[in-house]
Amino acid sequence: MTQPIAFLDGPWWPYLALLLFAVLPTEIWRWLAVAFARRLDEQSPWLEWVRLVATSLLAGVVAKLVLAAPGALAGVPLAVRLAALAVAVTIVLLSRSKVMLAVLAGEAVLIGGALWLG
Amino acid sequence: MTALASNHWLRPWGRGFRDAVMLPAWVVGLSLMGVGTLARDVGYPVEAAILSTILVWAGPSQVLFFASVAAGAAWSAIALAIGFASLRFLPMTVALLPLLRRPGQSVAQQMLIAHFVAVTSWVEALRRLPHLPPEERVPYFLGFANALIVVSSFTTFVGFQLAGVVPAPVAAGLLCLTPIFFLSSMVAGIRGLADAVAIGLGLALAPLAGWAIGGGFDLIASGLVGGSVAFLVQRWRKARKAGA
Repeated sequence: MTQPIAFLDGPWWPYLALLLFAVLPTEIWRWLAVAFARRLDEQSPWLEWVRLVATSLLAGVVAKLVLAAPGALAGVPLAVRLAALAVAVTIVLLSRSKVMLAVLAGEAVLIGGALWLG
Repeated sequence: MTALASNHWLRPWGRGFRDAVMLPAWVVGLSLMGVGTLARDVGYPVEAAILSTILVWAGPSQVLFFASVAAGAAWSAIALAIGFASLRFLPMTVALLPLLRRPGQSVAQQMLIAHFVAVTSWVEALRRLPHLPPEERVPYFLGFANALIVVSSFTTFVGFQLAGVVPAPVAAGLLCLTPIFFLSSMVAGIRGLADAVAIGLGLALAPLAGWAIGGGFDLIASGLVGGSVAFLVQRWRKARKAGA
């Protein structure tokens, strides 16, 4: 758990942390877009690079959430967690992108596996 | 005159709201339910979880935030990772704003519109707005996005509350909603080899980098390496196609 910054700590810390380290680094790009909307080349290869780095970063978040699982998820065997992801991905690939169906199937595998093996 | 003007706004706003509630809002809502569960897991209040949905309004940023706090990442690393993960909003918003531009539009209104840009609202807006008369687009878009946020705030709240009362396997299921949802929608969005490489390398490198670097900078490092390799693959394929 990341500890609060000492001299800013207090009852409002969760909100302050959220504003400083989540809202600001997210919102800044939307605001910059308003400022630069007329001057940015959408076809620039840099934007493609940014998109791929963001994709890779998010895939990394998925891997970390499943491997170093938080809370109750840590109590589910790793094989079940990986099977849930594999089933969801397989369904997305086979069903031509039915994300909702894939999520529900992955969840069924996870909860079913947790009940059966837990 | 005022009644007429408000009618001009209300009707397309309501239509946008209704179109979102029909399905898209619940898909987004489901993906943000796990955020509530994650927030509870790190001991943050339910208000902070809901505020994250309203103010951050980006599932990946919210998940990165709560998951990184849980993992003990440095604050600077958390902000940097979220900044990188959100950079996509710059080109996305730039692409959307021309569709919603109106004569005499203030910067404040543009900033409000920009705030509502997230994956679902963006994809749906690009698909739906061109078919609407220009004067109806802004209220329609706001109605659509407002419905997404209202439903998602509700599901974030539900995810937070449920985590405390449901049996362990279901709580695990709530926490796993986020990774399953992210991976499924990323795979559904694959448009070429480069996307697949970026996803595959991200999945494989993050655990390795976590072991080698740690402190939250591991995610940034694996994203930079995975994304850059994917980018080079794409360049190489384009060059080869152009040469052939």
